[in-house]
Amino acid sequence: MLDQIVFYSLSVLVLLSALGVVLQRNAVHSSLFLGLSLAGVAGLFASLGADFLFGAQIMVYVSGIAVLVMFVVMLLGRASDLHLRQVNDRWMAALLVCAVASVGLLKIARLSSATVATVAARPGTHDIGRLFLGQWLVPFELISLVLLAALLGAVFFTRTENAS
Amino acid sequence: MNAPLTLAHYMTVAGLLFLIGVFGALTRRNIIGILMSIELMFNAANINLAAFDRFLHPEGVTGQALALFVMTVAAAEIVVGLALLLAIYRGTDTVYAEDFNLLRG
Repeated sequence: MLDQIVFYSLSVLVLLSALGVVLQRNAVHSSLFLGLSLAGVAGLFASLGADFLFGAQIMVYVSGIAVLVMFVVMLLGRASDLHLRQVNDRWMAALLVCAVASVGLLKIARLSSATVATVAARPGTHDIGRLFLGQWLVPFELISLVLLAALLGAVFFTRTENAS
Repeated sequence: MNAPLTLAHYMTVAGLLFLIGVFGALTRRNIIGILMSIELMFNAANINLAAFDRFLHPEGVTGQALALFVMTVAAAEIVVGLALLLAIYRGTDTVYAEDFNLLRG
């Protein structure tokens, strides 16, 4: 019973704050809702027994990406933005696309409505460490290269030309 | 409400979150809003990966490890996206996607 209460309340939190991200007119409110939604997803990871993903989600998303987005919103925002329409005029077509896609997605989800968890969840951090430094060593090193490239790219794109 | 949680529950939540992200990416005018919607879509994929790991392959951690890779790529993507946005904003003085027509010639 406790599992169900946790799952349903976290799902409502995630979906409602995701709607807040999409529909809020004020971009600062939008980014605050993004942080709330990502924290709810971290709770869903915890309810799935993925302990390391829970920690990584809090560290990377809630305290990294959401705060970064908030900084950029405050850096680029303008007071007049609050009076402008924040959705374009094709929102009806986008709603139609989402409605059609939801039929297919929910049909696929219903296929697995008999799949229940058979064994109890157990901590997986140790196994993830063994996997990353054993079988998946090459992808693990490559992803650090991707992070280095992203770091250099961010520095390269944001530097000002009149430094000399 | 008392029925046991199945894979379909998690897939439904992830699917709805993905659709909200798609709607936001298609309709927001503010490009920061589009980037935030893309983050929502990444998170929907991560919920699915963790749920598949829990329900279909409980003896391994492959799904969780794959979700960690997705998380890393998403972090790199948002950093480069925001840096590009700052660089474009310096030239065009706008954050609205329909005004980014520098390449029109």
